[in-house]
Amino acid sequence: MNDGRGPLLRIAGASKAFAGNPALSGVDFDVRPGEIHALVGSNGSGKSTLIKILAGIYSADSGTLEMNGAVHDLRGFTPAAAHAAALRFVHQERSTFGDLSVSDNLSLGRGYETGPMACIRGQAVRARTQAVLTRFNVDADPDAPLASLPQSAQTMVAIARALQDQPETGSGVLVLDEPTAPLPPDEADLLLRALRRYADSGQPIVFVSHRLEEILEVADRITVLRDGCRVAVSGKGELDHDGLVELIVGGSVTGNGHADVARRQADPVLRSRAARGGAVRDISLTVCRGEVVGLTGFVGSGCSAFLRLVFGAQQLEGGEIEIGDAPARFRSPRDGVRADVAYVPADRASHAVFAGESVKDNLTVASVSRYWNGFRLRHAEELADVRRDMERFSIQAPSASAPLLNLSGGNQQKVVVARWLRRRPRLILLDEPTQAVDVGARAHLWQAIRRACDDGAAALVASSDVEELAQVCDRVAIVRAGRIAHEVDGDDVTSEQLVELLHSAGPAS
Amino acid sequence: MTVSSPPRRRLLEVCEAHALTGLTVVLIVVFALLPATQETFPTTGNLQVTVGAQAVLLAISLAVLLPLIANVWDFSPGATAGLASVLGASYGASSGSVTVAVLVAAGTGLAIGLVNGVLVTVAKINSVIATFGMTILIAGIVQWKSDGNSIVEGIPQGLLDFGAANFLGLPAVAWLAFALAAAIFYLLRHTPYGRYLYAVGSSRPAATLVGIRVDLVTLSAFVIGGLMAGLAGALQLARSGAGNPTIGPGFTLPAFAAVFLGAIAITPGRWNVWGMVIAIVFLGALNSGLNLAGVDPYINNFANGFALLTGVGVANLIARRRGRALTTS
Repeated sequence: MNDGRGPLLRIAGASKAFAGNPALSGVDFDVRPGEIHALVGSNGSGKSTLIKILAGIYSADSGTLEMNGAVHDLRGFTPAAAHAAALRFVHQERSTFGDLSVSDNLSLGRGYETGPMACIRGQAVRARTQAVLTRFNVDADPDAPLASLPQSAQTMVAIARALQDQPETGSGVLVLDEPTAPLPPDEADLLLRALRRYADSGQPIVFVSHRLEEILEVADRITVLRDGCRVAVSGKGELDHDGLVELIVGGSVTGNGHADVARRQADPVLRSRAARGGAVRDISLTVCRGEVVGLTGFVGSGCSAFLRLVFGAQQLEGGEIEIGDAPARFRSPRDGVRADVAYVPADRASHAVFAGESVKDNLTVASVSRYWNGFRLRHAEELADVRRDMERFSIQAPSASAPLLNLSGGNQQKVVVARWLRRRPRLILLDEPTQAVDVGARAHLWQAIRRACDDGAAALVASSDVEELAQVCDRVAIVRAGRIAHEVDGDDVTSEQLVELLHSAGPAS
Repeated sequence: MTVSSPPRRRLLEVCEAHALTGLTVVLIVVFALLPATQETFPTTGNLQVTVGAQAVLLAISLAVLLPLIANVWDFSPGATAGLASVLGASYGASSGSVTVAVLVAAGTGLAIGLVNGVLVTVAKINSVIATFGMTILIAGIVQWKSDGNSIVEGIPQGLLDFGAANFLGLPAVAWLAFALAAAIFYLLRHTPYGRYLYAVGSSRPAATLVGIRVDLVTLSAFVIGGLMAGLAGALQLARSGAGNPTIGPGFTLPAFAAVFLGAIAITPGRWNVWGMVIAIVFLGALNSGLNLAGVDPYINNFANGFALLTGVGVANLIARRRGRALTTS
């Protein structure tokens, strides 16, 4: 065991490129016993790549990992090797089972105490669960369904599950990927306090978060990544909020390509007045022809919900929404589609693509009726159009008849966006449109959307990637707790300004 | 995703798409040459009997196919066809009219399809459970209406004549079933409705978000499928000359086998009409040949089960190697 002040975990020279684009370039990173080490950076900075290399999900192009004195090559590092090296992860995606009891959640994967005939010894399982819960300070009944616990406690159960079989506190490293992202502020607070306690008892924690306040408060050290490089490591108290923002953004980035103000006053496409429904409490917003407007906020702030509200995928509970000059009382997405509104959902895999269907069928699914001649579909004309669209949107696919799942994420997203743009919508709603999309495809997507807006459409984009919003939007609204907290316009649309506003005022008013 | 030698890949795909067709031809040749069956198998009589028997199965398989494309299951087509033939026989006998018999059979299928569709899309009952329950319910209605006896008296003569007629060497009922298959193919391949049906089956949330009326499409799949099952009942009545209360449910499993096996042919990995038709020909030839060879009936079950499992298993293996979507896994 490591008793001194030397690091427990040390990563040296970790590099990884995707299709020739470096995502991580020679990054060093170390973790000392009993510290909370925060890893921060904007989207695309390389922090998720680093976490995935640590977890053995990606194989690095070069680099080494030293843990408890044993050196591993990061090329060919596997999830099993990561586990053997005592690295424990709680990923962003839910990995717990809400319907099952706390003790089931802690036993699955690890195994149950069994008696004769493989029957589960309920007493023993409950006793072990209780011991684990006590050790991790989780106040919960082992038999209660996990979903009945507060969210912070559910996350703590996930942490307890990851750490329960550590021979000794602090013999391994716990890696948490945005554990507070889905939590409301008071729950996040509880979780942070628990993390502090675990660290104080000797458990080293690597902590990824977008919330700068909590990082400044809880982290012993902060490593900042930008464009795949480590730009700073600083100790507690060495950085203030503004300094951290500057490191993350890297100098000031000026907005560009903003539509001129006069044009956009002219012709509103979307007018929302005190709209309410789902996570949206009260949003008033006007979007005009030719404009690209951004919405940003933390998870659950209501950005995505507002898009669904406008499209008809979420019921409007109050206020008014107008599309064009007509009041929009959409009861279903179908009404939205018929009013020439397009919607690109955030969850591409389950809400946007027809994975086993061909590129052609995916592309024309929202406009196939135009090929109906009263007797049959005009297949040749459809195919010719599809080929033209594939060229126009730079969709790389083996053929028009290849199943969509054979395409890369970026190309799938181009198909989804092209599906809508070929209908010439007047309002394009995009939810995290470039998530899991490579840099090249991003440029193509934005080009296509900007072109559509120049031709008279309007776009409303919800994204957590403020740098990207600053680059593509004419105007950005910051949404907090279902309301618009700030709106920035023209030359004020810079990523620095957005990060500042996003993190400035305290959480939810 | 581009492959080093596309022509070779295309050749492999063509081979895969037509493997079942080739196997069917081989099977027919083998039975035609085999000493045990060469006298009886390749005869006009056997051809007509076999094809006639498969006609009803074909129509019922269409009723299984449509809901499956929308990713819902209908277990009731066999029972529906049975009820349709009993009711068709009974009303046909009392009215003496072919039209009444056929309309009653078709209407029975439509009504049951509609109820199934409403149970699934409005009452939101899982389709397996809803249509399973419906199957049991239908068995009760059949028992009640028929008292367990076949209706043989007074079936309209026109219907019986049609059931016995041959056209271009094949039974007229088979031509009719084939026409139904062609109509469904047209619906799936050449109309927007077909696209919507496959889209709903591929992803209901995504279909909803592009403006497809998912529930309506699903309901219609049950209704059109129900119509097919009702017409299958009319075909059965015409062919056998009786409203037999016991024969319907026995068609359900073979129909599923045909649809599953058919998904590996023509457009592998997708539920499709012509693959299903070829699977029916394949299974028909297999069973006819085995029967004529005088094997014990249990051998037929072995052969049918084995054909289905190997066919689908091998197809999945090939598909997984190519990273393709699997309908059948």
